[in-house]
Amino acid sequence: MTESKPLTGGGLLFEVLQQHGVEHVFGYPGGAIMPIYDALYDSDVQHFLCRHEQGAAFSAVGYARAAGKVGVCLATSGPGATNLITGLADALADSIPVVAITGQVPTSAMGSDAFQEIDIFGLSLACTKHSFQVTDINDLEKVLHQAFEIALEGRQGPVLVDIPKDVQLAEVTERLDKLSHLENKVHLPLADISNALDLLTHAQQPILYVGGGVGMANAVEETRQFAKETGMPSVSTLKGLGAMNPEDENYLGMLGMHGTKAANNAVQQCDLLVVVGARFDDRVTGKLNEFAPNAKVIHFDIDTAEINKRRAANVAILGDLKANLPLLSVPLSIAPWQEKLQEMKADCAWRYDHPGENIFAPAVLKAVSDLMPKNTCVTTDVGQHQMWAAQHMDFNDPCNFLTSGGMGTMGFGLPAAIGAQISRPHDTVIAVSGDGSIMMNVQELATIKRYQIPVKIVLIDNAKLGMVRQWQDLFFDGRLSETDLSDNPDFVMLSTAFDIKSKQITKKSEVNAAVEEMLDHDGPYLLQVKIDAAENVWPLVPPNTANHKMMESV
Amino acid sequence: MNSTTLNDYQLIIIADDRQVVLERILQVTRYRGFLINGINAQVNTGNKVATITLLVSSSRPITLLIDQINKLIDIKGVTVDNSATQQCSA
Repeated sequence: MTESKPLTGGGLLFEVLQQHGVEHVFGYPGGAIMPIYDALYDSDVQHFLCRHEQGAAFSAVGYARAAGKVGVCLATSGPGATNLITGLADALADSIPVVAITGQVPTSAMGSDAFQEIDIFGLSLACTKHSFQVTDINDLEKVLHQAFEIALEGRQGPVLVDIPKDVQLAEVTERLDKLSHLENKVHLPLADISNALDLLTHAQQPILYVGGGVGMANAVEETRQFAKETGMPSVSTLKGLGAMNPEDENYLGMLGMHGTKAANNAVQQCDLLVVVGARFDDRVTGKLNEFAPNAKVIHFDIDTAEINKRRAANVAILGDLKANLPLLSVPLSIAPWQEKLQEMKADCAWRYDHPGENIFAPAVLKAVSDLMPKNTCVTTDVGQHQMWAAQHMDFNDPCNFLTSGGMGTMGFGLPAAIGAQISRPHDTVIAVSGDGSIMMNVQELATIKRYQIPVKIVLIDNAKLGMVRQWQDLFFDGRLSETDLSDNPDFVMLSTAFDIKSKQITKKSEVNAAVEEMLDHDGPYLLQVKIDAAENVWPLVPPNTANHKMMESV
Repeated sequence: MNSTTLNDYQLIIIADDRQVVLERILQVTRYRGFLINGINAQVNTGNKVATITLLVSSSRPITLLIDQINKLIDIKGVTVDNSATQQCSA
């Protein structure tokens, strides 16, 4: 008979993860986290070995966003921990619940410039919602539970727990009798529904401005119902895409720098903005003091600090959107406004009749959108392809469009797609990437190969850092500085090296068949789509310009 | 020459005496655009509650900083001592 091993800090970690329903984690082992990886050996939690800690962090983000769960990533001390930082910053900017566990050198060595020692606790202050360093094994269980509570409470976000090696190895002798919950929660004032209703019922030209907070609050149904009952025309931020039904006749699409002409003009002309889970981001507002200049504002949010941060609210309604939004659902008499905007929307409809044989990127993404199965989850990287995906693909839920909104992190798309596919194994997952972005975390093709993750990759390849090139052409006198990527690797050969089926297309006549072949393939697939390097994303609101002064061509 | 009007504020922050709470407050204060002109911190070791007095100045409204500090997990409350608030030009 073998004696059972005593429970260590490392073992306790996995016990607590399982108590919080964690089935999958993403990570990379190393010296100072070896006791945790030793405990993993006996755990039922499934670990995905990524090929860089940044990939692990983004996979955790993708996992969290696609499934509405907490994503968990692990890294060792020093460089392992610092490699997580970009992913944590991304999660903070987009309010994604992630718990990051880092190994740390033993407490006796801390502060001695030990091998692979970095003050990740200090570094985490600016890129997490909260962080902990556990120096006593008796604190570990409580801290781990608090990490999950903080990640999910209020405005969600990433939490880092740094655990020195001796704490991971220490025997657990005391267990919590009961969980203690957070004490210092922000108390939200009662909603001023009466004033909001007054503004609403007097508005002639209201607009519903929908942000990522709608999905985070699990309030998609309530928001669509509100739009339906009020008849209010709506616009969406990048992160809010999917919250509104794309087929709703009163939905005008994305607003902001690369928003639709109809959405931007409607916001500029409106007399009331009903803002739900959005934050007047600079990419949305353009020149702030000319944004929606005649509008009063009703601002719904869970985060007190977003109210009056960039635009004063006439009425702020703080708290749970799911409960608060239905309180304002009243039918409005705004038929002339609706008709005007529907006409404007029709006049500004996208066109895909691009001349010539070259592939028009918006048309490819429209084809992918039309052909992909319902409930497909799409991730993107950052750049022109990201904006084309936002403009030309339709999503029926925010958890089906995962893009790095606040931080704008190149390298997000591929590892986020891995996380999304693991959290939703029965749904199709497509990573739309660019030839610049994909090289930022290209090593994660090895993760796809190892676990045979059936992610489909649509690589929009213009052999350029396209968005920077576009800005250099438009705003820097065409001085193309360090944006040429014509020496990219052969992406088909690269995919083949990772046992990933792939194909390159160069003509528009090849598009539909190639997309169908990709979608029909059982395993991972990379479709390289060569496009004209001179293509730009339109419309474009130039920097520090009001949104109605958008450019539509050179 | 441009002249920016700075307002001086005195904040009284009550916080749980936890790891790096002071660093968190200082980081948020700097990042949100407030200059730190003075600080005093005391801990009640009985109830492990810290009282931090922070003198700051900025052209930005103080409510922006109060809301951000209030979001920190270890913060119990933040108030402005209006008697210490002044305006000056820099």
